[in-house]
Parts: sequence; structure tokens; C-alpha cells
Amino acid sequence: MLKTMNRKISVVLILFSAGYLYLSYNLKEYPYVPVDSDLVPKALGFVLIGLAVLLFFDKSSEEEGEKKKRTVPKKEIGVMAAVGGMIFIYILLFEVIGFLLATALFIFFCSWFLGYDKWVSNVLVSLIFPSALYYLFNYLLQIRLPQGILPF
Amino acid sequence: MGALDGLMQGFQVAFSWEGILFVLIGVVTGTLIGMMPGLGPISAIAIMIPVTYGMNPSSALVMMAGVYYGAVFGGSTSSILLNAPGISGTVATSFDGYPMAQRGEAGKALAVAAISSFIGGTVSVVLLMLFAPALASVAISFGPPEYFALMFLGLTAISSLSDGSTVKALISATLGFMAATIGIDAQTGTNRFTFGNPNLMEGIDFLVIALGLFALAEVCFLILNRKDKSLSKQSDIGNLKLSRDDFKEMKGPMTRQSFLGFLLGVLPGAGATIASFIGYITEKRITKKPEEFGKGSIKGLSAPETANNAATSGAFVPLLSLGIPGSGTTAVMLGAFLVMGIQPGPLLVQDRPDVFWGIIASMYIGNVFLLILNLPLIPYIAKILKISRPLLISLVIIFSLIGVYSISFSTFDLYLLLAFGLLGYLMRLFSFPAAPFILAFILGGMMEQALRQALTASGGSLLVLVEDPISVGLLAVSFLSFIVPFIRKKREDNKQNQDAA
Repeated sequence: MLKTMNRKISVVLILFSAGYLYLSYNLKEYPYVPVDSDLVPKALGFVLIGLAVLLFFDKSSEEEGEKKKRTVPKKEIGVMAAVGGMIFIYILLFEVIGFLLATALFIFFCSWFLGYDKWVSNVLVSLIFPSALYYLFNYLLQIRLPQGILPF
Repeated sequence: MGALDGLMQGFQVAFSWEGILFVLIGVVTGTLIGMMPGLGPISAIAIMIPVTYGMNPSSALVMMAGVYYGAVFGGSTSSILLNAPGISGTVATSFDGYPMAQRGEAGKALAVAAISSFIGGTVSVVLLMLFAPALASVAISFGPPEYFALMFLGLTAISSLSDGSTVKALISATLGFMAATIGIDAQTGTNRFTFGNPNLMEGIDFLVIALGLFALAEVCFLILNRKDKSLSKQSDIGNLKLSRDDFKEMKGPMTRQSFLGFLLGVLPGAGATIASFIGYITEKRITKKPEEFGKGSIKGLSAPETANNAATSGAFVPLLSLGIPGSGTTAVMLGAFLVMGIQPGPLLVQDRPDVFWGIIASMYIGNVFLLILNLPLIPYIAKILKISRPLLISLVIIFSLIGVYSISFSTFDLYLLLAFGLLGYLMRLFSFPAAPFILAFILGGMMEQALRQALTASGGSLLVLVEDPISVGLLAVSFLSFIVPFIRKKREDNKQNQDAA
């Protein structure tokens, strides 16, 4: 039954709208208005179910290009996951060690990991770019980025 | 105030040293970001929004407009030189631009693109100047039902016109609308879908979605293609000079596509991409030598380049005069307006003539800047394409993260950004267009507001939506734009079946 990708996605979407609808039906009532805050979410939930059903029965086979786009080599998925992990660690450390340090480390390691092998320019960019941004935001735009453990 | 007085005031804004400086910054950054393969105007605008904090709104928006059309302009460079379009609006540019570059006429191709873009951009600004105030004066009488119908049309139009499956585009739009319902409801104060998380009470910021679905999702593809060709192999781009015959060839497409592109840009849902393809196809159909198209025809390069720039200014008509974006890019542009505390719409021309006319006037200057920048400087600007992909990826990620952090100061939004980046990547992988999502997200809140205002006024009766001829007409067109693709597909399927039989 779940032969095509469209059908799999359709089932996921139907489950998602069911959850969304469940939450919509449990929204708190507000008695003093003719149309309450649940009207639009309920309508959206049913529209999405309807569209997911249409997608389920959508017979048009995917074009070759679309299929080809989906076959990502396993190694590359690992690379993307690793970059995602680095972003995650960056966010974790961002407010703790501060913008300058976190960004310098991120740019250096992320670029190096992705295959940037010019050491000198990598170090230079990792130092100059965050410093310039930090100066721009903190002093010119008056937007405070986390200072962290550095004194400035 | 007449249009002429308004325009004079606009030129005062645009010709002040501040105005000129910000137009210049806008078009230069727009060109540079638009040139990067994969990064388009949506990412460019979203990345630049934090920079506008604390700026005077008219200067800030003049700059953002510059970023927008600068990015469309810049996108053509990577299409021509690398056959790697920076944005979907310049895909058609690569059809004839890249073959020209391969023949060693890259310089000529860039010059044709720059001049065509300039003409398309300038002609359409004149049209924008004429049409936007007129439309605003009509729209001033619109009530919630008309606005609801208008936005509904925008959503169905972008879904039926986006490439690929209409069902998928509509699903994408519905999901975007759902994302807009998260947070405290403005009318009743009810917490919706916040799961008790205080970070979600104010709703998701549009920048999180714009940068996640576009910039970060594009990063995923940049990672996949990080070992791709770059400009480093290519050495000389050749002479920029055009002969008189070249101009003769460009004349026809430039005149026709300036108007056609503008018109398509005004229509909801169409925009630069569709304008460029339609421009390419119409020119191919009417030319005497269609066999040259695709092999480096000047006409085939000039047509989409004129059309996409004309459509870019055309898209400002509904944005400025109705306050309703017709495309994903203008939706993000609307976000930039709202960040500055400016609500575009029929009242903008009266309330903030400096902004309204300032943007229009700045476009004249911006287009001249782009021409000057692109003609003599293009060989130098194109060097940015040599920037190594791994480094580019790291920098784009940082820009996206800082952009979000500088508006919310919360790391929760950063995690949310990462999540939307993943969603955007998956959507691309499974061919769900992302533009309807962002448009629905931005229109969603406004649409719900308009619908509930209309229903409150009528005491809950849905008939209020079909009482007025304008809203009936708009709703009828929306349903047509929704149904026609299905019928057309049915017919094609039947035809194929017959052929097979």
C-alpha cells in the first residue's frame, strides 16, 4: 500500500493533521466572540487531510530528476549530520563562551571539516570575520551579542 | 498630493547622501549574495534585515529594495559563468548565457544581461510609479472580506503556478498557515499550540522560517556540491563590447519583455521565475531563428534577463499599494517592512510618502548603479565566485544564526532555526516548494485576522465573504486558478493514454 513516496508522505501528513486537529478541538473556549480562535486551525486541519488524501491518490509518477535528487550518498548524509551537530554545539556554547570565541571556532572547524585546506587563510578568516561582525553589531548597531568569557 | 510631487519628495529621499549610500550598499550586497550559487533574494533580504535595526525606515527600506533587485541582477552572473543559477529567476538566463560563455563570449553575455536588466528594471519602475498609487486609491475602500479574498487568491495563485505538483504546493501553503497559528491569539488571548513554552507565545518569527527554509536548506545543497566546479578554472571572460548588430537583436526582446515581465510581476504568484521562462518562450516563438535559442542566442539571453528584472519591480505594486505580497520573496520583503514598523498598504502613500516614493525613486538610481557596477566592474566582482565553498558554507550558517539571534536574543529560536533548516531540506528533497510556505506563513496571520473581522461583523455568517462583487470576483479567480491545473493535467493524462493505446 505504501509503495510510492507520495503515499508515505501522505500518511505522515494525515497523522500530523490528526494531531493538529486534536489540539485544535482542545483549545480553550472564549465565549464572548462569534468566531473563536479554533475556527481557522480546525479548517486548516481538515484542508490538510483533504490534500494529503489527494496526494495519496496522485498517480503521476515522479520525474527522473526528482528521484535522482533524492539519492544522496550515505557518506554525504553523515557530513550534513556532522555540520548539523556542529551548529548544535555552537548554539549550546554560544551564550556560555560568547559570540567571538564560538564563531571563530565554528568557522575554523566547519570549513576545515568540509575540506578547506588553506590553513593560513582559514585562521585569518576565523579571526577577522567574527571580530568585524562583533564590532558591527555591538558598537555600530547597538545589538549586544553574548560577550561570554572574553573581557570585551 | 499628486504623483509628481510625491516623486519629487521621493527623489529628495533617494538623492540625499544617506539615500545614495544605502542604495549603493543595498545593490552591491544584493549583487554579491545573489551571485552565490544557491543563495537567492529571499536569503539575501533575510540576512540583511538585522543590519537595518536602528536605521531610519526610509533609508533601511531603500536599501532592502536594493538588495532585492540587486540579487536578481547578480543571479545572472553565476548563471552565465558557471551554469549554476544563483536563483530560480535566472535559470532561463543560463540557457543561452552559458553557451555564450563557453564560446569565449562571457564578457559579451554579461554585458547583454546587464543592459537588458537595466532596461527591464527601469521601464518597470516607470510603470510601478504609475500603477501603484492608482491601485492604492482603489484598494482604500477594501474591507476585511475583500482583503481575505485577495490574500486567498495570492495563496492559490502561487500554489498553482509554482513548478511541480499543485497538491504539494498547496500542502506546503497549508503547513505554512498552520505555523502561523502558533502563539497567543491576538483577538481572544488564547494560547494556541504553544505546549506551555513561553518562547512560542509570541509566535514564530518570520526570520526563523525564512532563514531556515531558504538559507539553511540551501546550505545543505551547498554541502552536497561543495566540490563542484568554481570559477578558478575559468580565466578570461573576454571582451565586454557589444556591436550595433547586437543591440539590434536585443531591442525587440527588451521592449516586449519589459512590459510583459512587469505585468507578470504584478500578478499574484507569478514573479521573476515565471516571467523569465515566459519571456524566453515567447521570444523563441516569435523569432525567425528559433534554432539559435539554447546555443547562445543574444535574444534568448536578453529576454529572460529583461523579464525577471521587470517582474521584480512589478512585484512591488501589490506589496506597496495593497500590503499583500504575491510571492515568497515579497513576503520576506513585507517582513522587512514590518520589522521597521511600516505597514505597507493603501494608506502608505498618504501616511509615509517618504517611504513609498523614496523606494520608487531609489529604484531609478539603483538600476543606474547596477549598470555602472556591472559593466566595467563585472570581471572583478565575478572573482567572488572563487571563494571556496567550505568557507562560504560556514559563513552563510553564521549569518543565518546571527540574523535570528539579533532579533530574539534567545537560543530557543536558534534551535528552531535548525529545525526549519531540516524541514526546508526535506521539503526540497521531496519536491515540496518552499515559497508557498513562507507566503502562507506571512499572509496566514493577516488572513485569519481579516476572516474573523469579517465574520465578527456579520455575526458569524460566511455569506459576508460573497456579498461584495470584488471579493466574489477574487474568490472565483482563486478557485479557477486552483482547479485549472487539475483539469489540464487530467486532459494531458487522457491524451497520453490515448497515445499509448
